[in-house]
Formats: sequence, structure tokens, C-alpha cells
Amino acid sequence: MSQPRVFLVDDHELIRSGIRSELAGAVDIVGEADEVEAAVEMILERNPDVVLLDVHMPAGGGVAVLRALNGRCPEVRVLALSVSDAAEDVIAVIRAGARGYVTKNISGPDLLDAIYRVAAGDAVFSPRLAGFVLDAFSLEGAQLEAADVDPDLDLLTPRERQVLRLIARGYSYRDVATELVISPKTVESHVSSVLRKLQLSNRHQLSNWASERHLL
Amino acid sequence: MNITTPSRPVIGTPHRPYRRGVENAILGGVCGGLAIRLGVRERIVRILFCLGALVAGLGLLLYVVLWLCLPRADESDAIAQRLLGPRRQLRRVLIGLVAIIVFGLILQALGAPSLGAYTLPIWLSLVGMIGVWRGASPDERRHLEELAKSAPIVGVPGSRTKRSFYLRVILGAILVFAGLRVLRHFGGAWYVASPALVGTLILLAGVAVGLAPWWLATLSDLTGERRERVRVEERANVAAHLHDSVLQTLTLIERAAGDAEAVTRLARNQERELRAWLFDPEHASSRDLAHSYVAQLHEMEAEVENDWGVKVELVTVGDLELNDDVVALVAAGREAAINAAQWSGASTVSIYAEVEPATVSLFIRDQGSGFNLAAVPSDRRGIELSIRQRMERHGGTVALKSIIGAGTEVELVLPRSS
Repeated sequence: MSQPRVFLVDDHELIRSGIRSELAGAVDIVGEADEVEAAVEMILERNPDVVLLDVHMPAGGGVAVLRALNGRCPEVRVLALSVSDAAEDVIAVIRAGARGYVTKNISGPDLLDAIYRVAAGDAVFSPRLAGFVLDAFSLEGAQLEAADVDPDLDLLTPRERQVLRLIARGYSYRDVATELVISPKTVESHVSSVLRKLQLSNRHQLSNWASERHLL
Repeated sequence: MNITTPSRPVIGTPHRPYRRGVENAILGGVCGGLAIRLGVRERIVRILFCLGALVAGLGLLLYVVLWLCLPRADESDAIAQRLLGPRRQLRRVLIGLVAIIVFGLILQALGAPSLGAYTLPIWLSLVGMIGVWRGASPDERRHLEELAKSAPIVGVPGSRTKRSFYLRVILGAILVFAGLRVLRHFGGAWYVASPALVGTLILLAGVAVGLAPWWLATLSDLTGERRERVRVEERANVAAHLHDSVLQTLTLIERAAGDAEAVTRLARNQERELRAWLFDPEHASSRDLAHSYVAQLHEMEAEVENDWGVKVELVTVGDLELNDDVVALVAAGREAAINAAQWSGASTVSIYAEVEPATVSLFIRDQGSGFNLAAVPSDRRGIELSIRQRMERHGGTVALKSIIGAGTEVELVLPRSS
């Protein structure tokens, strides 16, 4: 596979240069932007494979970029990058269309791995994000409003639950595959399916859950 | 300024010129000034003006006109002079006067001649009062403001005293009774008076609507002020917190710049603390919540990170209240985590905690060296045994899995006693 073309969006020069030096040589950095409007314009123009998107920026942050891009360039995949792993932020960017979420203290090789995986069309779940999803889609919550639950979108299958649980325990996709005796591709498809549910589920509980979690 | 003018009337000795009084002023100093001018007691002048006010409000009108046209004893210009100075103001005053006269004429035309004639001086006085307020010098305005504050009826809440409260109640009651009596006279019987009553209510509503913007502005001023105060307090809180924690840590980091391990630990500590403060304000501030499973795990995470210099990645799903069993579970988890930090050589220890309807589980995983379960040194074996014994005492189970070169995972499961 050729090097993915990566675009950086972060309002902190220090972070951008840090990421640049970590990724140097392993990916093709096609541009960077430090604010929402410029980012949208340049992403549409340069059409990168992967956008590394900072969640917290002035004027709406990463979510604003995702909303502006919405539908205009389906082949551009977004990996959200943040210092915070507050549930609200995570759920918000994923629901706005990001394919993955990692925190900024991720190691260089892990970040690279995540970029390659997102470029290949897979979803990237950090242990924390997997934990959030398990919490948000908890069985107890589902029982509460069984009447208007769409099983295709609002419930996790037992297998997806197993996969997420292993990711939350710190397993890599490869480890998950070994543990469950399935192929890594199957693990990826499970994770992608969970991502789709996370993005499309109408469970009003999901957004409530995120904000409640913040207040707790 | 006329220095020879006394501040109080000298009985029997008239003084020129006629200026409004300052020292002996109650409202505008018109009566006080006239008393000085004529050399008579202020009280006499005041009583005369009050009697004049009963004559179709003419006394009131005279008072207001004098108030506008006479300079204060310590000022050179009359209020009217100040008001009429700029052209625009003059035009406004003229428009106001014309409007009043037209209003009076309309009232007369509508078949309420006596009412129109009676109220005209009062309307004119009201306009005059607005002029007084607009044109008053800062000094005089202050005097009027103080007057308004200390008046028992319009007194602001700040100046509320017992006396003013009783005064207000008594005055209000007298006014209500007087009003009812007037209405009764007017109609002779209640059912005749009821249209007048309705009319009065409509009038009151009209006044309320007219004054609403002013009243609302005052109100929003107050809430705005309160919000601002809250904001300032919040800011002070943030500043205090940043000072206590972040600045201190930065100082420590500067001092320990040579010691990479110490710097990492300090930064990690500070990061965790700041995170807790930013995203979990309740957790950070109240110790009550330390009595939950998750809170205990957070404490354990901090302890292991501090003491062993590894990164602990803690993920939790669900929470429950502490009991003896859960405390034992956390203690066993702590030993497992320390074990991983001490022996595995991995830089990160992953901890996953999940609360399910039937069980509470805790997974401690590292991606370090791993070990052969059969050939463990006895000291390490001891720790593993103590974890196992502890869990079994509380009805739980321990599963240990280790692959050489790939890491170790300890799984602790506790059934939930309902």
C-alpha cells in the first residue's frame, strides 16, 4: 500500500510540528490548517486520504469541520485527535462522521497504525471509546425503552460486545482476533458495524448519556 | 453664587434675589427660597402651596414652573435655561407642550370637560417634572435620588425599615379605602360603580404597560449584575485552582528538569488531576463519591502511576457502591497492577472494569515480557497467591493468563450480592 496522504488540522503549531516529525517519512503530509474555515477549503481542494482533526478549536472545533465536509467528499476519512477523552466530545465527533478517535498522548507507532487503518476504511476505537460505547449501549438502558428500539441500530450483538470488551481491556485488533479465534478482517467488520450504530442510532439515550456522563 | 443670601429665612427681613433654597430644600427648594425672599417661615409658604395645589392643581403647576425657571442659590443657570440651551431640546419641549394641550382638548371633546380642565395642570406639572429631572445639575439630581430612596412609599428595598413598612401599609390602606369610597359616591351603588372600577383597572394596566420597559430594565440590570458576580467568582476559582495546582507543578518540573522520570511523573500527576477537575468537577471536589467502585479505581490508578512510574489506562463501564467485597476486589486489582508495573517491563498497564447485572469484573493487562506460570520465582508467586486468596475469600475467581513475550492478563470476577 502506498503512503496515505494525510492532512493535519490543529490550532496549536506545537502539536502540528510534533505530529509532523512523528509521521515524517511514513505518510505523505499534503497540508495543514489551524482553523475551521481554511481546513474545510483546503481539504476539499487537496482531497487527502486521512484528515487528522483536532477536536477542540475555536469557532466550533472538529465537529464544525466534519459538518462542513458532510457528504462533500465521502472518500476523505477523518481521525479525531484530542487531549480530552470526555464522553461528550468523543460521541460528538464520531456522530458527526469521524472514523476513529485517539488521544494526543498516543505513541507514534500507534498513531501511524491508526492512520493506516482509517485510510483502509476501518474504524479506530481506543480502549476508552470502546468503554464509552459499552456504557452507552448498556443492556439496562435498552430494556428501559424496549418499545422504540431498532435492533439493527440500537443494540449491540453479543459478538460486537465481546470485541468491544476486549478492545477496552487493551487488546489490539490482532489480539482480539487471536482471542476470539476469528480473522482480523472479521474484527474490523465488527468494529465498523459498531461505528455505524454509534453514528446512526437514534437512541435519544445516547446523547443524554454523554451529557450525563459529563455531569456525573 | 450669592454669598450674602442666608441659607435659612431671617424672619422679618426679606432678601433679594429670589433663588431656590439649597439647605432648606425638601423637593426643589422653591418654598424655602421664597421664604428667604419674603423673610417668612418656610412652613407658611409650604402650606400655602399645598392649598394652592388643591385648586385644580394650580399650586403644583406653579411650583413646577418656578422650579424650572429659578436658579438654585448655588448655581447660575435655571433648569429651563439649561434645557432650552440646545435647539433640539427646545423642539422636544415644544412638541411635549403641544401634545399635552391636544390631549386636554381631546378629553374635553370626549365630553369630560371638568376632568380635562382639572387634569391639565397636573399633566403639565408631570411634563415639567420630567424636564426638571432631565435638566437638573448632578448635585440636584443626587438630592432628588436620595429623596426618592428615603421616601417611604417608593423607597427601594435597600432602604426598607420597619417604620417605612408600617407607613407604607397604612398609607396603602387609606388610599384603597378612599378610592372605594369615591367610587361608591360616584355611582351610589356598587353595580353602577363597577364600570368605573373596570376603568380604573384598565388605567392601572396602562400605566403598568407604560412603565414595563423601565421596570424590566431595572430588573435585567440586577440579574446582569448577579451573573457578572457569579462569573467573577468562577474566574477567581479557576485562577486559584490553576495557581494551586498547575503553577506549583510547573515550578516543580522546572526544578526537576534533569530527572526525566520525575518530570514524567509530575506531568502525569498534574494531567490526571486537571482532567478530573475539568471533566469530573463533582468527583474532584467532593470526597463522598470516593465511596464508589470507579472512584476507588481512579485512586488506585493514581497510586500505581505515582509509585511505579508506569502509565495506567483505566476504562470503566458502569459503577456501583462500595461494600467489603468490592473493596477486596480493588485491593486485589491493585496488587495485580503493581505486579505488572514491577515485573512486566511494559510502560503501560491497561485496567478494564465492568459492572454487569450479575458480576463485577476487573481486568489488569500488560503487554510486557510475560512469564511461565510453572517457573515463577517464589516471591512473585506469593503475590499471585495473595490475590487468589483474597478473591476466593469473597467468593470471587481469578484467572491468570501469560504468554512469554506478549504480556500478562489477570482477570478478577466477583459475583454481585444483591
